[in-house]
Amino acid sequence: MSGKRKNTPGTVRPQEVQHEKTFPRFSLAQRWEHAILLLSGLVLLLTGLPQKYREFSISQDLLSTPDRIELIRQIHHIAAVVLALEVAYHLGRIIYLMAKRRLPGDLLPTWQDVRDAGQMLQYLLFLRSDKPKFGRYNFEQKVTYWFLFFGVLIMGISGLIIWFPIQFTKFLPGGVVPAAKLAHSTEAVVAAIFIIVWHVYHVHVERTNLSMFTGRLSEEEMRIFHEKEYERLTSQSASKARPGEKK
Amino acid sequence: MATRNPHRQTFWLIAAGAFVLLLSLLLVSPAGAEPPAQETEKYCLSCHGDTDLSMTLPSGEVLSLYISQDNLDHSVHSSKGIECEACHNDITTFPHPELKYQSARELSRAFYQTCEKCHSANYQKAQDSMHAQAAEAGNLDAPICTDCHGAHDVRPPDEPRSLISETCRQCHTEIVDTYRQSVHGAALMADENPDVPVCTDCHGVHNIQDPRTAQFRVAEPELCAGCHANAELMGKYGLSSDVYSIYKHSWHGVDISVYKAKWPTIWHDSAVCSDCHGIHDIRSTDDPLSKVNPDNLLTTCQQCHPSAGPNWTDAWTGHNEISLERTPFLFYVEKFYTSFTPFVLWACIIYVVLQIIRATVDRVRRNLQ
Repeated sequence: MSGKRKNTPGTVRPQEVQHEKTFPRFSLAQRWEHAILLLSGLVLLLTGLPQKYREFSISQDLLSTPDRIELIRQIHHIAAVVLALEVAYHLGRIIYLMAKRRLPGDLLPTWQDVRDAGQMLQYLLFLRSDKPKFGRYNFEQKVTYWFLFFGVLIMGISGLIIWFPIQFTKFLPGGVVPAAKLAHSTEAVVAAIFIIVWHVYHVHVERTNLSMFTGRLSEEEMRIFHEKEYERLTSQSASKARPGEKK
Repeated sequence: MATRNPHRQTFWLIAAGAFVLLLSLLLVSPAGAEPPAQETEKYCLSCHGDTDLSMTLPSGEVLSLYISQDNLDHSVHSSKGIECEACHNDITTFPHPELKYQSARELSRAFYQTCEKCHSANYQKAQDSMHAQAAEAGNLDAPICTDCHGAHDVRPPDEPRSLISETCRQCHTEIVDTYRQSVHGAALMADENPDVPVCTDCHGVHNIQDPRTAQFRVAEPELCAGCHANAELMGKYGLSSDVYSIYKHSWHGVDISVYKAKWPTIWHDSAVCSDCHGIHDIRSTDDPLSKVNPDNLLTTCQQCHPSAGPNWTDAWTGHNEISLERTPFLFYVEKFYTSFTPFVLWACIIYVVLQIIRATVDRVRRNLQ
């Protein structure tokens, strides 16, 4: 945890910088994990798409010589190894924390998430006037995590199979190779759609949520978007402390 | 004969020929025109009809000067009224001008150039061919028009169709013999099958190019697709016409299409049709000698993937559509993603759009208050 880290200016409105309390949200290690995931994922996507859509002229311009294809494959493989190391670290840390009985369960899906999603849908369809109160991670954020968790897993396994098809078919049926190729190339697009539409909307359009880079959320953000967590941490009602916010 | 005045005779003969031709044009009868008069031919054959007529060339070769009436009768030219002097345009009379050629081959290589006079398009094509290149490189045996078509006995080159393979076989004996064992060649030899390719269908006719180049290689799938993507034609033989479209999306096919589009002159090892099916020895998949018979498939794959194990052949989905029986893994992955991909796309879009609407309405309401 980087609780001692200074509040970064710019994440909240300037006139409030002096007064606003902030809450730690992501540790430095978690933020580094996110940065590695973001960068390696971006490189993988940018080097993967021209290989998938090879018949497009823009891909062919990018892959303008046979050497370029080799180069782009190497970059793709290097980025894949970086992401694999990150995944190994992530899983290793989960196992370590589980063994120590210190794994926080905030990200695990619960029935409350299903109820929240139902309520949210009612709110979005004008059947309710208030949004559900969320805890540390709302159901949208959990969906993001688990969608990408399984997405990366599928990409990693299928990617390994099509990287080393001969070795894998020594002990797996040959049919897994074309299946892995299809899964790899389709899941990539699904993940890209998901990130661009779902994730980018939630962290950049709905509101600018840079806590994954700054590590902290402002008091206001906590009150509005993580009411339950705010109440749990401060033992005071978020709605009472919410000036000017309409219920 | 030498006492005649051949000039006058020739004049009258040509005049008579022209008159008869004119007459035949005027009197076209439904029963069909009379065969054109062959006066020059008769005149030439009065000497050249002698089977013993010959001369010795400086090279020592004895050149027979005998022309068979039978050959002329069956040639496409003679029956159309095209006579000796059309090609032998240096000869107008007897005695003939002296032959300046050292050998029979030299003579042929000089005389075939008169083909250009009428057949200029095909003649020019042949000049761009691999055969012409071989001649330029010094191989004077490289074929010229007359080697394939004949000289005095030019006949339709594809009647019967198997004649084409026979013509090529004069030089390419081994390849044609292999071809005749193949599924294409056997059908041709058995009943002159009009659908199977003969040599010229793949290699071209006059502008035959080197089939060992990178360009020929990357163009090959399309060449085979000329027939094998034709549903009507393939239906006749119970073959799938999807082989090409499925290949095009395969690992091999995508590579090849990129190379064809971008670097047609750079050699690429990704498999094309002939790498797996063979070239002149293409056989039916059921044939135990076929390179793609299930029993031989692994060996064929190992040409390029030497360390592949027995499971490897199933990694090749074949030229088949995805199906539960043949490719179960692929089948289920495809089934999953055909619903999962649109589900994710629409779920994300609808959810986000609903959020945008609700947020906008809330903001407007707040501002109105």
